[in-house]
Amino acid sequence: MFETSISHNDVPILRIDGKIIGGAANALKREMDKQIEQGRGGLVLDMARVPLLDSSALGIIIATLQFLKKMNAKLVLLNPQHTVLDVLQVTRLNTILEVYSDEESATSAFGS
Amino acid sequence: MSETILAVDDDIDILELIQMSLEAEGFDVITANDGMSGLEKARTHSPDLILLDLMMPVMDGFEVIGKLKADEQTRAIPVIMLTARAQTHERVQGLHAGADDYVTKPFDLDELTARIEAVLGRTLPTKYINPLISTMGDWFTEEGVEQLASHLEAAAMIQQNLIPKQAPNVPGFDIAGFLRSSMTVSGDFYDFIPLDNNRLGIAIADVRGKGIPAALLMVMIRTILRLICREETSPAAALKRINDLLAIDTDPDLFATMVYGILDSAAKTFTYSSAGHCYPLHLKNGGTEVDELKEGGMLLGTFGHAVFESETIPLAPGDELLLYTDGVTEAERKSDETFYGEERLAAILESNSHQPAETFCQTIETALFDFSGTDHRDDDVTIVVIKATDGKE
Repeated sequence: MFETSISHNDVPILRIDGKIIGGAANALKREMDKQIEQGRGGLVLDMARVPLLDSSALGIIIATLQFLKKMNAKLVLLNPQHTVLDVLQVTRLNTILEVYSDEESATSAFGS
Repeated sequence: MSETILAVDDDIDILELIQMSLEAEGFDVITANDGMSGLEKARTHSPDLILLDLMMPVMDGFEVIGKLKADEQTRAIPVIMLTARAQTHERVQGLHAGADDYVTKPFDLDELTARIEAVLGRTLPTKYINPLISTMGDWFTEEGVEQLASHLEAAAMIQQNLIPKQAPNVPGFDIAGFLRSSMTVSGDFYDFIPLDNNRLGIAIADVRGKGIPAALLMVMIRTILRLICREETSPAAALKRINDLLAIDTDPDLFATMVYGILDSAAKTFTYSSAGHCYPLHLKNGGTEVDELKEGGMLLGTFGHAVFESETIPLAPGDELLLYTDGVTEAERKSDETFYGEERLAAILESNSHQPAETFCQTIETALFDFSGTDHRDDDVTIVVIKATDGKE
């Protein structure tokens, strides 16, 4: 359910396929940690194929976001579906998570 | 939530057969055709149960069981061995290695399903306890489970005692609360706190996660709220104080969402602020219109700098407020993976405005049952209903 690519300006993009519920949240954490260890200054989560995430997934995204912030790095979301956007809006996480609708702007958000 | 079964066998035909028949029984099935990838998938997918062929090249089933049981992360996953009929001593060896049961090949699919269900029935309760391992560390031993169960029961009792036993009597209003937890110790709560003669504090909250960690955070939030609610005049200020205190102490992935409001029975108003919680519904205009109450701020416990806003809405006779947790809107109908959703909830609010608050809570609970076709809930269900009556009873 995970697939990673590196953009032309060296930003890792993690494509997620499927619901992030239950145990999948831990798998997501391991995948994100793997990318963060590479030290590329941040991570793009491609959410286009994620129909749903639960509160465990939210918790892990928040924890990763906070961790990256401390390292002066970024976590941005690419193309979340409206169901996921609704969750971000209700929880107000949309005010601190950058959300982009195309890969070019998502990766250029890293400014390099 | 349907259970996930990992099937490991070097025979692709058997894997396909197992996958087709178990999916037809409503399980999610993932497959691996050698021991190595079986182990890998056990780690990444955290299945609820593993079907494991003993006779495989390179890494056989015994080695896989040994590695599963040596790994903290996979230790608790039950294993059913698939063995050839004649190999009695191998079955015994497998059971000694930690397998939970075995099925002999060629197997009958009904028998396989029955064994899986029996093993899952035995092991699911410990699956619920597993999230505690990280909190309780070395405490978690085979012998500790029983002790843990009694602690859980005690914790559940304490928690139940923190939920209001009856709704407060407020002139001109009919109020009710309802909580049904999905497991012994839950993360939801609601509270009614009399502030002065005319004002009643009303809270509903949903703590992320389940079990003891969620319950501890729930108790913290409830305690802080009760300590500060008389000092802070606005709900936004109260939420900000709770948030700032929690953000210092808790892990970033531990959080809660909450609505705190003050019902003023003299002014006939409700002043509220929502911390990332699902929007309360306000039935108004003689029961013809449903509004979402969206004012507030970020979810609680993670961001120290979060800001909150309050809003005051007037409550006319016939108006009704419905506060709830996402266990209501996310009650799932498994057959087509549909959630109950806010629209259905708003509709049921409109069509049942004549019901007393307490009856209406039951009406929602019944509607969730009718919708999902089951009594089982993946999440706690919490509801608070506030009706403005015309003052005459």
